[in-house]
Amino acid sequence: MAYFRDADEVYAYIGRLFEELAQDDELAPKFSKANTIVQYHYREPESTITVKLIDGEEGQVDCGTTTMEPEVVMTMDADTAHRFWLGKVNVTVALARGQMKAKGPVAKILKLVPLVKPVFPRYHRLLEENGRQDLLEAA
Amino acid sequence: MSAESALDRAPLRGFKDFYQYASTTRIIAGRDLLASTGFEFLKEGAGRVFLVTDEVIRATGLVDRVEAGVVDGGLELAGVFDDVPQDSSTEIVERCAAAAKEAGADSFLAVGGGSVMDTAKVADAVFTHGGSAREQEGFLLMPREADGMGRPLEIAPLACIPTTAGTGSEASMAAVIKDHEHKVKLEIADFPLFPRLAILDPETTRTLPASVAAATGIDAMTHAIEGYVSNDWSAHGDARSLHALRLIRDNLERAVEGGESDEEARGNMLIAANLAITIALGSVHAMSHPAGAHFGVPHGVANAIHLPHVIRHNAAGAADIADRYRDIGELLGIDEPEIGDALADHITALVARLGLPTRLSQAGVPESGIPVLVDGAMGDGTTLLNPREMGEEDYAELYRRAL
Repeated sequence: MAYFRDADEVYAYIGRLFEELAQDDELAPKFSKANTIVQYHYREPESTITVKLIDGEEGQVDCGTTTMEPEVVMTMDADTAHRFWLGKVNVTVALARGQMKAKGPVAKILKLVPLVKPVFPRYHRLLEENGRQDLLEAA
Repeated sequence: MSAESALDRAPLRGFKDFYQYASTTRIIAGRDLLASTGFEFLKEGAGRVFLVTDEVIRATGLVDRVEAGVVDGGLELAGVFDDVPQDSSTEIVERCAAAAKEAGADSFLAVGGGSVMDTAKVADAVFTHGGSAREQEGFLLMPREADGMGRPLEIAPLACIPTTAGTGSEASMAAVIKDHEHKVKLEIADFPLFPRLAILDPETTRTLPASVAAATGIDAMTHAIEGYVSNDWSAHGDARSLHALRLIRDNLERAVEGGESDEEARGNMLIAANLAITIALGSVHAMSHPAGAHFGVPHGVANAIHLPHVIRHNAAGAADIADRYRDIGELLGIDEPEIGDALADHITALVARLGLPTRLSQAGVPESGIPVLVDGAMGDGTTLLNPREMGEEDYAELYRRAL
């Protein structure tokens, strides 16, 4: 059974995490160096989060429909995304096994991978603060 | 050693949580094989063959012999595309695919170095599945059954006859193509890109200039060393890397110096390059790809320049990384406590003996180019496979040292 019940739950936690990162004075400028718009297309439950990471511009996160045109599209199960943000997914292995698929100029996103480690505890905390011990234990 | 997160460095020893290994290309190696090209390619489903090469190779007369071998085996020659430059591009790939379509071909035969073989691979994908060359970019993203999750769809039969001993593209699932508009090298990798057939015949490298033999040989050596030390290492890969290094140790300088007269060394270098090829690479390739994309540094030359600096940096990172370099050193006759320095010095001396540049500035890279190179290296997929975690400052320092 999938960790998240529906798309709203994906947006409430993973979407919320992206929104917090977009407002983070320290991390947002680093992520915006990617200079791209990336769309995360999640399966089970079907959900979409589109993130603007443009150097010098304010970040933007759209959960669900968007008018932004993504340059890079990352496709994976929402479970994989959840486990990734808990620090439990090796990106190179996930790509090698096809658990994560990346379309477009992937280099723009790969350079962000080393930056995400500090975000793992934040996602953990977000789930704890919302009383979602079940999601922490399930992964 | 337990990791705090899955992004932390995993040890380069022990039993891995996961790896996968595939090598689906049928390889034939030996003497006088060009005449049987058609006989062998027929077994892989070829009928009307579209031959991809470059003008330099065609001028040597080699292509005429391959063409004769194609026809002699009962196949038809649909056409020849000899317009592939040293660093092929998306535009060339699309022209090649269109020409093959126009010629009514049903299969591709690449006769050339890495650029020719990678052009044929991506052109074959465009020819079979449509779309643009740029749209092929990605890792394991080619069309598949079961809504993209099942068996990958095959592309038209592809055979490769390498004319350099370095790239190993004739037995790999990857291709690199330059996108001039965006100044990047597109990396495309998926199982259907394994050629169905590779023919390794030292006749194909008989007239190879010494400088090209040297640069491509160091490319093969870099594949073997980076593959062995990558955090994407595997027992299967280790076996290939170490034997490739033995062959390179014994044959590279002979092949460069002896050239036309040393068929055995040239043949063994073709096999070494074929064994060494891997997509489990590291920061040498991460640094060399942007050096090629932005400043036109030939890939083998860029690897020759970067390899010693990356070895020093990585070996200082952790004992298990140094141990892996120690295995390589042992094979090369190096037994020094500071293995990173000793191995790097050994390679720098080899590169110099082979007559290749040892500094980026000698290859036309200005100091002002470092920021764009760092950006390219950070975004290169192989950075994630380097055994020591790399940051922007690390790359900037390595480029400065290499300058």
